[in-house]
Amino acid sequence: MIIAERKPLEEIRTMIAGYEKILVVGCGTCVTICWAGGEKEVGILSSQLRLASSREGKELSILEGVVERQCEKEMVIEELRDKVQDVEAILSMACGIGVQTVADLFEEKPVFPALNTTFMGMPEGEGVWTEKCGACGDCLLYWTGGICPVVRCAKGLLNGPCGGTRKGGKCEIDPEKDCAWVLIYRRLEKQGRLDLMRRYYQPKNYRAVKRPGRIEAVTA
Amino acid sequence: MEVKIGVFLCDCGGSLKNIDFARVSRNLEELEDIAFVDTSHKLCLEDGRKAIASRILGQNINRVVIAACSPELCEHKFVRLLQELGFSPNLLSVANIREQCSWAHEGDVTAKALELIRMAINRTRLLQPVERTEVPVKKEVLVVGGGFSGMKSALELSRLGIQTTVVEREAVLGGKLWQDEGLYGFEASARKVLSSIREEVKGDENIEVLISAEIAGVEGYAGNFAVKINKGTDEFCRDFGAVIFTTGYKAETLPGYFRLSRGSKIISQQELIEILEAPAKLGRRPEVIGFILDAVDENSRLGSLCALNSALAAKDKLGSEVYVFCRNLKVDSEGAEKLYQVTRDRGVMFLKFEQKPQISVSDGRVKVEAKDILLGEDISVCCDFLVAEEKALPPEGTEGLSSILNVGVDSQGFCQDENVYLYPVDSERKGIFFVGACRGNLDIARVSIDVTSAVMSAYELLAPGRAIVEEGKVNVDGQKCRVCLSCIRACPHRAIRLVRENAEKWTARIYDLACDGCGICAAICPAKAIRFEGYTDEQILAELEAIGEERGGNNKIIAFCCENSAYLAADKAGRMRLHYPDNLRIIRVPCAGRVDIVHVLRAFEKGAAGVLVMGCQEGACQHLTGNIRAKERVNYTQDLLKEAGIDAGRVKVVNLGPDMAQKFVREVREMAEKIKEE
Repeated sequence: MIIAERKPLEEIRTMIAGYEKILVVGCGTCVTICWAGGEKEVGILSSQLRLASSREGKELSILEGVVERQCEKEMVIEELRDKVQDVEAILSMACGIGVQTVADLFEEKPVFPALNTTFMGMPEGEGVWTEKCGACGDCLLYWTGGICPVVRCAKGLLNGPCGGTRKGGKCEIDPEKDCAWVLIYRRLEKQGRLDLMRRYYQPKNYRAVKRPGRIEAVTA
Repeated sequence: MEVKIGVFLCDCGGSLKNIDFARVSRNLEELEDIAFVDTSHKLCLEDGRKAIASRILGQNINRVVIAACSPELCEHKFVRLLQELGFSPNLLSVANIREQCSWAHEGDVTAKALELIRMAINRTRLLQPVERTEVPVKKEVLVVGGGFSGMKSALELSRLGIQTTVVEREAVLGGKLWQDEGLYGFEASARKVLSSIREEVKGDENIEVLISAEIAGVEGYAGNFAVKINKGTDEFCRDFGAVIFTTGYKAETLPGYFRLSRGSKIISQQELIEILEAPAKLGRRPEVIGFILDAVDENSRLGSLCALNSALAAKDKLGSEVYVFCRNLKVDSEGAEKLYQVTRDRGVMFLKFEQKPQISVSDGRVKVEAKDILLGEDISVCCDFLVAEEKALPPEGTEGLSSILNVGVDSQGFCQDENVYLYPVDSERKGIFFVGACRGNLDIARVSIDVTSAVMSAYELLAPGRAIVEEGKVNVDGQKCRVCLSCIRACPHRAIRLVRENAEKWTARIYDLACDGCGICAAICPAKAIRFEGYTDEQILAELEAIGEERGGNNKIIAFCCENSAYLAADKAGRMRLHYPDNLRIIRVPCAGRVDIVHVLRAFEKGAAGVLVMGCQEGACQHLTGNIRAKERVNYTQDLLKEAGIDAGRVKVVNLGPDMAQKFVREVREMAEKIKEE
């Protein structure tokens, strides 16, 4: 799932400075789940912006909205077609994809990102998300027992640990991190597939996906 | 349908003299959707109730606002009355104009009273009725653990006509009762108790026993638990209305204390009992037996008292000299003091130490050296056997059990969070109970009380065969639900599950019978998909709207008060006539965990100068985590305020108990001072 975090208020206020009527629009998918840009956060940010503006004696009127999935054109149009009429700018609380979808559809309106899209991750517990996948386009999880060394090894090694693993199985570079290759070894051991550690994984093609990526699926 | 509100004011026998009721009445009558404003002297008594009844039956109103004493005193009376009249009691708000207004401030409080009533009216406009429906419950109880507590529970339930199934891990029932000697708390010998109680259980038609069986999973909710049971190679599922856990304890000798490893001379209670059962096996009669207590843990009653029993038995059966080394022998269990006297009278010698005794082996005997603080001398005793101190621990598998059940454990690992609202036998989940040693209650005399508590609670829940719930009072809008699992993880009562009905979309679903109405889920939901009728965002914000309509509102303090603690403390302050600034407006919430960040921010937007979020003290939240969440949310809100250039000190979390009127007043005065400084 896409994980994002809200930008500091100061940065957001700089973006919308000078606009007196804005739309703050959240997304009901990934950013709702990671508590960054859902209906709740739209309410919080709007409240903060109004408080900050009124404190400085500035005018600011905010229209609030949420699109179920801000990267779907049809849904964006459905939800925002009328709302965008009266506003001067749009502050999107979606991931970068949502922001750009809205920007493409309403070209005359400036669209600003209230979030920083950070990574693709997984929930570890309440309120905690960690990065798991780097979208390299050439998945090697078969070789590594389901643990991705591209993302989780600080050096991105593909054929075993660097030799600098610290006590307790921690990473040489970041002692807070587990050494990915220790995790991989233990996992393969549990599965009786340690023979994979002896096989040599060729240098990775980091350009497996031509950027910007594009997929054309077969329409049924 | 158009909202038509009937307003009833009560002047409490004419005693609330600092409120101008006529003026209040005139002001409210001007509002569009108010059908009438009646003033009464004693709304809660016969005449007042008759007046309400005639208005409701006569007039076409569909909402009621009552301004009177604290809802803690009167709300239930009016709820009853409305139900009798066929009027949904969910469409009622009570404004507290006595304890939290007239009694709380000096001078005229008409303006505040008016504002409080306006807040109630605003909320009431948005109230929706909630149906009361019946949920069937299974009239069968599962007892996990076939020891003393388990068998007792099954027997008591059977006497009340409830079917019980007892699941026991071992191949025989009895638990610790097999230890004849040494067990503390029984009049007769443990074995005798065991055989008589087993006979009773065997002969009881209402009790089914499954031995060599274990619990593998518990799904569902109060009244309808689906339990997975493993017996040998079989796995099957059975339904129960309630589950009582009586899994007992594990006795562990504390070897770490002894720098020597536990050899054949330093023995456990169990080993002593085995010796006592077959003393001939020893060859030579032990001349001196020593016991060590309290060196590591003074508080293990069970360990100490069992040791006394064993000491007595050792003296009687073996005729050896028996020494008991102890620090403070705690005898606060029933009959314990008497046991101590008897043991002393029989010639067991007690030596009281302060410093940890030195233990060594010399000549094949165990030498214990300690300073006896009563004699003031160093004593050295050579024992043939030294019985080591013991500690009662949670039984094997407790950790696994607590995660299967999704319940917490206390600081020692026993099942049951150390929360006062859970005592004596409740768990966070309605319908699941912990009885006896497995919840840390190691006093057999008191275990019987535990058993009765649990049995009565289960009986109350299941006997009618159905339970009455407010259907959908807290519910999830399946379409809005993003299935983020936040509410499921956050619910302290485990009342929310992931479901998919009729192959439609996955959604969280709240089970009415298991829900305890705290609102933590409604506050945490990022998609705002959870609606808690009576405390929706709209209803809370509507109350905020009414504040400041009178006076420009720049100096108001909003206090979100939990109904289990702060609201009661505020009432008490009123009763004690402890006066505090009259710019305080209280918004009642079921738990501090219901208060959302946006509620606080909106309060500031509406012109509040300060906000207090008041909930229960640490470890004493009825909903376990509500006050902790409130604190975290307020901390976050302080950061948000800072970002917006607003003094973070204007919002504060306060933890207090329901009787802490002085603290309530102090906090309010402090905030009032603070906001004056601007």
